[in-house]
Amino acid sequence: MDGQEPADRRSFFRKPAAPGGPPPRRPAPAAPPPPGSPAPPPPPVYVAPPSGPGSEPPPVSSVRHPTFHGNGGTLFGIHVVNVLLTLITLGIYYFWAKTRIRAYLSGQTEIEGDRFAYHGTARELLLGTIKAVLVFGLPILLLQFVRDLLDAPVFLRRLADLAVAVLAYAFFPIAMVGARRYRLSRTSWRGIRFSFRGRVAELLKIFILGSFLTGLTLGLYYPFFLVSRQAFLVSHSYFGGERFEFTGRGRDLFGRFLLALLLTVPTLGLCWVWYVAFKRRYFWDHTTFGSARFSCRVTGGALLGLWVVDALILVGTLGIAWPWVRVRNVHFAFRNLALVGALDLSRIRQEAQQVGSMGEGLSGFFDSGFDLA
Amino acid sequence: MRTDWQGTYLDGQTAARHPATIRLMREALEISPAGGGTRLWPYRELRQTQGFYAGEEVRIERGGDLPETLLVPDSAFLESLHEVAPGLQLRFHDPRRRRARVRWTIAAAAGVLAVTAAIYLWGIPALAALVAPRVPVAWEENVGRSALVYLAPPDRRCEDPRLGAAMDEIVRRLTASAPPSPYTLRVYVVNRPVVNAHALPGGNVVIFKGLLERTHTPEELAGVVAHELQHVLLRHTTRAVIQDASTGLLLMALTGDVTGPLAYGLQTARTLGELRYSRRAEDEADVGGMRMLLAARVDPAGMIAFFDTIRQEEGAQPQALTYLSTHPLAEARIARLRAMAAASKGTPEPLLPAEDWPALTKRC
Repeated sequence: MDGQEPADRRSFFRKPAAPGGPPPRRPAPAAPPPPGSPAPPPPPVYVAPPSGPGSEPPPVSSVRHPTFHGNGGTLFGIHVVNVLLTLITLGIYYFWAKTRIRAYLSGQTEIEGDRFAYHGTARELLLGTIKAVLVFGLPILLLQFVRDLLDAPVFLRRLADLAVAVLAYAFFPIAMVGARRYRLSRTSWRGIRFSFRGRVAELLKIFILGSFLTGLTLGLYYPFFLVSRQAFLVSHSYFGGERFEFTGRGRDLFGRFLLALLLTVPTLGLCWVWYVAFKRRYFWDHTTFGSARFSCRVTGGALLGLWVVDALILVGTLGIAWPWVRVRNVHFAFRNLALVGALDLSRIRQEAQQVGSMGEGLSGFFDSGFDLA
Repeated sequence: MRTDWQGTYLDGQTAARHPATIRLMREALEISPAGGGTRLWPYRELRQTQGFYAGEEVRIERGGDLPETLLVPDSAFLESLHEVAPGLQLRFHDPRRRRARVRWTIAAAAGVLAVTAAIYLWGIPALAALVAPRVPVAWEENVGRSALVYLAPPDRRCEDPRLGAAMDEIVRRLTASAPPSPYTLRVYVVNRPVVNAHALPGGNVVIFKGLLERTHTPEELAGVVAHELQHVLLRHTTRAVIQDASTGLLLMALTGDVTGPLAYGLQTARTLGELRYSRRAEDEADVGGMRMLLAARVDPAGMIAFFDTIRQEEGAQPQALTYLSTHPLAEARIARLRAMAAASKGTPEPLLPAEDWPALTKRC
């Protein structure tokens, strides 16, 4: 079902935070200083920082919606120039194109009066993709060559088969973690960077256990796997030094999953749209940041309407109208998403992580739309 | 000339916003946050990262990975900056150039159309024609072998020796007068009621029993076989693989990142795009097949008669549609074959004169 998620990945990717007053409680255990990252923020060099937290308004329990200010026309204009340069450079400009689109979309996304900023560069994306191709693409291609085209002995072919499967299997968690690390670390709000500090080994464990148990239970374990994956992805995400938390449990998703499974035939599969909407609501509603929590009101009917119209627009224009579709999807996601409750931004401190872009290259290259779950 | 502006200063260490007054100077920005502590930012140390489009606030950063940031909501700030400190066009965007940018964007759109059309109509077929002959025949044979197992599983192949000999004779007659090729050509008859035929890369042709039974003479079948053999000899499968992959890449370049339901919409465009290439391949196989028949002195009327029968059955006989779905038989195609046949001078020699053809087609 994940393949059917809409394309506005970025909107679900961001974990916006909002300002508030003094801390309602002490922050969660401070994240360990990451190896290799810059030392804790040095005090300003020449002047004392301007009046700090004291000038923030008192804590207010409020509902904040993210807003998207961009429009399809501008996005289309950026895209047209991107396409021309990509074609002329035989694809090399692709990385610059992608970076420009991301920077535009981030810059047009606002919450609590401030916009996001994207700090990634095309060079990083290019290097990441080259690395990904060297580590995964080339070996898989070579092994397939051995398997299909050489007259190799049977046991060698089986061995190549196995190696391809292992590489392809390891690819997903590595790409997922890498992409998330890269994307979050290159995104900021109010000058504070997001970061992802989960380790590949942990996700690999979740994947191995998940696919093993899913197979063993003929698919029934799948929602539990999804939830543990989401928990991993969310609870290792940070804004500055403050962590996001996820409180969802697999059994809450299980009932809807089973229902959708049973209704697949009578509803011709349409029930899965409602399942996706429920999953999305459930995932957001169980994501918290400090004492604020996210709230998502998306419904299956609305999601179905969105997708049907999207598909009609795209088929009717042979894909040319995708910038407008993308903007539609972002508006839809933001309309249904809110951050509820008091937040204390005064204790947020910059804590940057050093991150390479290889995982990003992996997911960008094969583009499986991971970051939604 | 306005030199004083209002904005927001972010220190890059905390999430606090500091309202600030900004003064434009000849060499630097002077930033005075509300709480005191004025800073001087020399222009050459600054970079602009947002504020290139209407409705986007101006964002100026200073410092390395974790910069200090200045936000100015009014883009007229940039216009004043360029007036106060000329010569910074490369460092800071100038909103006055947005109208020119629209013109350039429209020119770029025209450029995209031209480049896309050139790649699609000329570039991709040329690439396929260049690469396909360099693909080793052994690779094609490998791919063809796995396709053969799927299309003609051994237990459904017609093993009748007389039918097999007739097929071998047709292939021999057709190829005897053709230039030598690196392929081992063979025709398999498969016991399925489908009215269709396939050419597999590497030299095998699969004819389904449904099609075989609809031919009235060996010449009719020879027409179908000649057409399919041309697909093999012209490496159409290999070319199609290259063309389809390139079309996919072209579409990817045209649409950027596309996932989920968006991808389904694009599939339509891709299918439409590939249709043109496959139609062209069919035309090539027709012309080549007819030349093959004429060179082998097989009566070309057979090929024309068979295509005519199949086309007239369209609608009346749903089974015939299978062949038509992969071999669209337009009136123009048959007309061209007729013209080619009429222009030929040679006298046909009978094919398999000793065989009772209708009886032979039942031996499967």
